[in-house]
This record gives sequence, structure tokens and C-alpha cells, in this order.
Amino acid sequence: MKRYRELIAERVFLLSALASSAITVAILVFMVFMGLPLLKQGGLYQLLLKPWAPFQGSFGIYPMIIGTGAISLLSLLFAFPLSLGCSFLIGSIAPPSVSKWFRRLIELMTGIPTVIYGFVGVFLLVPIVRELFGSGSGLCILTAALVLGIMITPTMTLFFCDSFDRIPKAYLDAADALGASPVQKLLYVILPAAKQGMINGVILSLGRAVGDTLIALMLAGNSVRVAESVLEPARTLTAHIALVIAADYESPEFRSIFACGVVLYLFTMAVTFLVRYLTFSKDQTV
Amino acid sequence: MRYRSLERLTIIFAWLTGLLLLSAVSLLLGYLFIKGYQSVNLTLIFGDASPLRAILLQERVFNGLFPAIVGTLILVLLSVFWAIPIGMATGIYLAEYASPRAKRVLDAFFDVLSGIPSIVIGLFGFAFAVFLHKHYSDRIGPCLLISSIALSFLVLPYIIRTTQASLEGIPRETRLTALALGATKFQNIFLVLIPRSLTGIMSGIILAIGRCAEDTAVIMLTGAVASTGLPRSLFAQYEALPFYIYYISSQYADRAELMQGYGASIILILLCAVLFSVAYGIRKGLTHFALYRP
Amino acid sequence: MTPDIKIRVADLNFSYRDRTILQDVSVEFPEKTITALTGSSGAGKSTFLMTLNRLWENIPNAQMQGTVEIKLQNQFRDIYAPDLAVTELRKMVATVFQVPNPLPMSIRKNVAFPLKLSGERSRGLVDEKIEQALKMANLWDEVKDRLNEDARNLSGGQQQRLCIARALVLEPEVLLLDEPTSSLDQASTAVIEDLLLKLKDRLTILIVSHHPEQVKRIADKVVEFTDGRIITAP
Repeated sequence: MKRYRELIAERVFLLSALASSAITVAILVFMVFMGLPLLKQGGLYQLLLKPWAPFQGSFGIYPMIIGTGAISLLSLLFAFPLSLGCSFLIGSIAPPSVSKWFRRLIELMTGIPTVIYGFVGVFLLVPIVRELFGSGSGLCILTAALVLGIMITPTMTLFFCDSFDRIPKAYLDAADALGASPVQKLLYVILPAAKQGMINGVILSLGRAVGDTLIALMLAGNSVRVAESVLEPARTLTAHIALVIAADYESPEFRSIFACGVVLYLFTMAVTFLVRYLTFSKDQTV
Repeated sequence: MRYRSLERLTIIFAWLTGLLLLSAVSLLLGYLFIKGYQSVNLTLIFGDASPLRAILLQERVFNGLFPAIVGTLILVLLSVFWAIPIGMATGIYLAEYASPRAKRVLDAFFDVLSGIPSIVIGLFGFAFAVFLHKHYSDRIGPCLLISSIALSFLVLPYIIRTTQASLEGIPRETRLTALALGATKFQNIFLVLIPRSLTGIMSGIILAIGRCAEDTAVIMLTGAVASTGLPRSLFAQYEALPFYIYYISSQYADRAELMQGYGASIILILLCAVLFSVAYGIRKGLTHFALYRP
Repeated sequence: MTPDIKIRVADLNFSYRDRTILQDVSVEFPEKTITALTGSSGAGKSTFLMTLNRLWENIPNAQMQGTVEIKLQNQFRDIYAPDLAVTELRKMVATVFQVPNPLPMSIRKNVAFPLKLSGERSRGLVDEKIEQALKMANLWDEVKDRLNEDARNLSGGQQQRLCIARALVLEPEVLLLDEPTSSLDQASTAVIEDLLLKLKDRLTILIVSHHPEQVKRIADKVVEFTDGRIITAP
């Protein structure tokens, strides 16, 4: 009796684990399956590198890939220095009481809903950008990247702080005993030792930036033309999915969003495996 | 003195960025609250209906947030209801049963799952609903049930990871105590290990709740609409706070509607603030694990 | 001839999480000698060392009362006085830990690290001081051809001598060692003991030790701790 219960329990746990991992696979399979007809029709080249012009029968997602790249990389450009400075502050420069309080605040900030960033962006930042640069509607790559940058900064900061926390205490003791000031400890001991973890943090943050839907959808203007400057509107892969969903289920337009889904999925996978590879590969010497 | 100036610059840089982030966030929240605090009152939630009668479902609320709030609450409860059993069971398997090899493979799956953009999960839910609609029943389309299942996929990794982490964090001595007294592995897990890690698991669940409450991308593809009243069944469309905020920002007709958007934002932010404070209060170390996904 | 006093500790009390670790400790240490701190584990020896370089200030929930004065640059100074920066103090009162803790960098960079901290930039001077310190620590001959290798590749005894060299490079006046040989084999221990005897002409050494033979071999003076108090201070 007891034996059976043990066995059943183990089987249930195993089944749950298998089911959970099956979800991961199922999502990819479904995306590929739904996007396949379009792929057969025009080929991978057409899909990835052609512009989006439904009335001319061209359903390439090239502009969206460019839009996603531009917005997420630009947002990283804003978020990286900001996160770096904030993690310095928390990791060593601020006095302990301030650092603890600041870290708690940043943790809370990761909980602010994305849609709120978008909402305030629409009504506060968009008019400012419009006035400042005097062209267009204010809905553009720059606006979206600014807000996205602010949004991923808390997460990136925490990734950085986390890699600071993993540094062996012996290194910190050594620096202290040699009379290093907090900022010296940071620059010459903590940073070199935490480099690997920080690279992981940047990659994971890029993953978050690429995966975000709402901010680009609300602030980037969603134009399907390839933008020529950061003050022009653009559309990301994620926003494209949200915008096309209403179309006819059988149409090539509808099929194309699954191509977006597959691209996003594969990107996620690349990010995950890159980070895993970097984490598992041997510690590097400074 | 090159080193000295580098050090001084670093200090200035760090304080400046801290100040910048702080002011960006205070600007964000301050703007929202100053513009919107006047609209936060009972009328915002219940419109012209009487609050008591609305809560007792005797009167429909037409121009208030009540249906959206209820929709979000039901959605969150359902999603977490699906995610908790399978997530915890998976976490237990990873921590207590899986061989190192199996663990590595499964870990990779869950790392990928936790990184999938929510819109992709939403698209999956939507396509699945369409698939069911075509092949099985006309009655099924994007609806509350589909949304909650898709959302549960989104938060499953949180629950798996916190369960696993808090089980693995239990010291060896505690692990061996019950076993030494003749407990079976299953008894040990349920009578000793799980109760010991409940706070950790709870913080994961609360994080999952917060994630469900704020997500917009999944629900906008799987059944959330701007106005339909309270959901009538699991197979009906529904209203939700974050979707309402998104909708207002692009489609508002007049000032009154816009003010409702501000009000809804404040309510959503307060809801998330409460959930996150509770989660971090319970255990801050574990949340990090969920965040970092090593 | 009675040697000059280097360190004066008076009425020192130390507690951690409301538990008393040191109680009414008053003691003096003579200049250019080796003093061994002995006593059972948990008696407060390591804590006492940390009060001499203020390293305990990194420990949360710790509290200290009392005065510690060290003769630095021929002048007695209260090391807790606000006009003495803690980083300056630690450059003059160097510490070597129980477990060797080389930083994750090359041998050269490890020894150069304190010089980097004090802003020394002249490459020639840095190289000269590195060589001097490594020679003083009896390590030069073993590492002179592999200065750019990772310090963590050295043996335990070599790592500990590297840490001593790193502590010596700024020419401190006091050297604190917390059971520096407890993780080492006999041969490495002997090398380090010789080294300490050689160093005592230059600076004041305080060493926590558990081994009576070691104490007998190297110490000029013994201070024994029991339950946070000093029982023998001849």
C-alpha cells in the first residue's frame, strides 16, 4: 500500500514536469505549424527580408525585425549606463542604509505594470518629444526606447547587483584589509570578478526588451515602413502580432504573425542557451 | 593621478544615475497620481450604480471599472489555480527526484519557457482557441478560460523556480530528521520539506499573481475586451484593468473617459504595489532566484 | 632594555548580536616583536585582531567600546579618531587571513594591488616594490619567471606568502596574522615561521596561533585569551 503511494506520487511529479516542459515545445510546434503555409508559399527569404505590403501581396516581416532591433538596442543603450550606476550605488558606493533602501525601491519598481509605463509615456513623453523635435506625432523609436529603457533598468540593476553578491567574500576581505576605499573595491575587485555575471544580465535584459509588447505598441507609432531615423515611427515584431490579430484567420497576413512568433521564440531560445553556456563555461581569470 | 580621477568620476556617475532613475520614476508616478487622484472614488468604480447592489450583482455597472476589476480578479485566481498544482509538482520533481542529467535538460526547458515573450504565449492561446473553434465547437473562441490557461503558462516558471529553490535551500540535517525516524520519501516531502518551504513558495505565488494582474499582451489576444460587463461564464469574453488602460490610451473619446484611464492606472499600480510588497516582505532572497533564472 | 610600546589597548569591550565577545581587555604590545595570541577557539582572539584594523566594522550587529592607540609614524594615534581614515589605517596595519585569499588576478597584480589603491603609477617603481616585497616574503625565487600567471595556481603555502608579500608592499608598521599556517602543511609552515622571524626587525607582528610549539618557536611574548578576557600578560 505504502509502496504504491510512493510510486504514484513520483509518477505524478514526473508527469507534471513532463507536462510543463511539453508546453515549451508545444508553443514552438504550434507556431511553426501555423506559419508553415506562408513559408511554403514564399520561402524563408521572402518572409524575413521582404517589406510588408499586403496589397501587393508581400508579407515580409523585415521592417518589424529592424524595428525590434532598433528599439531594443537603443533602449539598452539608455538602460545600461543607468543600471551600471545604480548597481554601483547599491553594491558599494552608497552607505549601507541608503543602499538597502534604494535596492528595495528598485525591487518594487520591477513590479510597476508595463501598461502604466506606456500610458504615462503616451500622455507625458509623447507631447514633449513632439515639441522638442518639432516633427511628426511624437510616436517614434526614440520615445519607445526611452520608456523601455527606464522600464528594464530596475531589472538590469538587480541582475548586476546579483552578480556582485556572488563574489566570494574572501576577495572583499582582502581588499578591505589592504585599505581599499569602497569605490576602489568596486572598480578593482568587484567589477573584474563580476564581469561574467554582468554580461549575462545584459543579455537577459535584451531578451526582456525584445519581448516587450505594450511599450512599443503604444509609443513607437507602428509604421510598417523601415524607419530612417530614431524620430520616425516603427513597428516591432511583438506589436505586429498584436495589431494583425484581428485579420482573417486564413489570410497570409494572419499567417505572417506566426512567423513573428517563431522569430521571437528562436531569439528567446538563443538568449537562454547563450546565458546557460556562459554560466556553465569555466570561470574566467581576470 | 589617473586612478584618483577615475574613482572620483565613478562616484559622481553612480550618484547621478541613481538620482536620474529616481526622478524618472517619481515623474512617472507623480504625474499619474497628480493627474488622476481626483478621479479615484466610488463613482470611478461603480459609475451610476449603487456600490452595494453592484457587489451583490443585482445591478449592472455600465460606466465604472467594477467589471474590469472583477474580471482581473477572476482571471488572476483562475490562472494561479491552474499554475499552482502543476508548478509545485514540477518544482518538487526537480528538487527531490530528478537526476542531475534530467535536471539539466528540464532546467533548459523552463529557462526557455520563462523567457518567451508574453505576446507569443498570447498568440499561442489565440491560435489554440481558433483551432478548437474550427474543429470542435463553435462556442469556443477567445475567452476567460483560454486567457487564464495562457497566463498560467506565463507564470508557471515562477512557481516551479521558487518551489525548487526553497526545497533545495533546506539544510541537510532537516532533510534527514524525518527519514531517520522511518518516514518515506513522500512523507518527508509532504510533512517536513513542503511546510518548511511554504514561505518561499508563497512568495513565488504572489509574484505570479502580480504578473497575471499586470499582463496585457496575453489577454489582449485571448479574450479581453473593452466593454462587456461581468463575465457570464468561463467561455465568455471579459474586461480587465490593464487592457482597459491600454484601450483608453488609444481610443478615449472624451475627458471623462481619459480620467477613468488615469483612475484605472492608479488602482492597478496600487494593486501591484501591495502584491509586490507582500512578496518581498515574505522572502526577498527567493524572489531574486525567480528573477535571475540562472 | 625594555622595548618601546607600539600598541596600547584600553578597556576594550566587544559584542556581537548582544553577545559579549571581549570584556575589559587592556593590553600593550611592544615594538618590533612577535606577540602570539593564544586561547581556545571562540575566546575572542580573531575578533581582537579585527579591532586593531577596524575590519569588524563590516560586520552587522557588532559593537565596540574602548580605545585602541597605535604608534604610527612615531606618534600615538587613536585609530578610531575621525581624523584617521580607515583606509589609511589599514595601509599601515596590514592583515593576513587564516585562509590565503589571493585576488583573482595575476601574481604581479596581486602584489601591485595596494600600490594601485594608493595611486602609484610609475611602472618602474611598482616593479621594484613588487620585487622587494616578494623577496622579503621569500617568494621571489619561486615566482619570478611566472609573475603573470594566475595567483590561484600557486600552492597553499605560496599563496599565503603571496598574501604576506601583498601586505608588506606598502611597508606597514604592524602585521596582523590570523592563524596564517592552519591550512598549510608542515614544510610550508616552517617557511612562513622563518619569514616572520626575519620580518620582526622591521615591524610589529601579532599572530593568532593554536599550536604551542609554534608559539614557542617564534613568539617573544604570549597573550592568552579565555572567554573574552586576557589571563596572562607578562
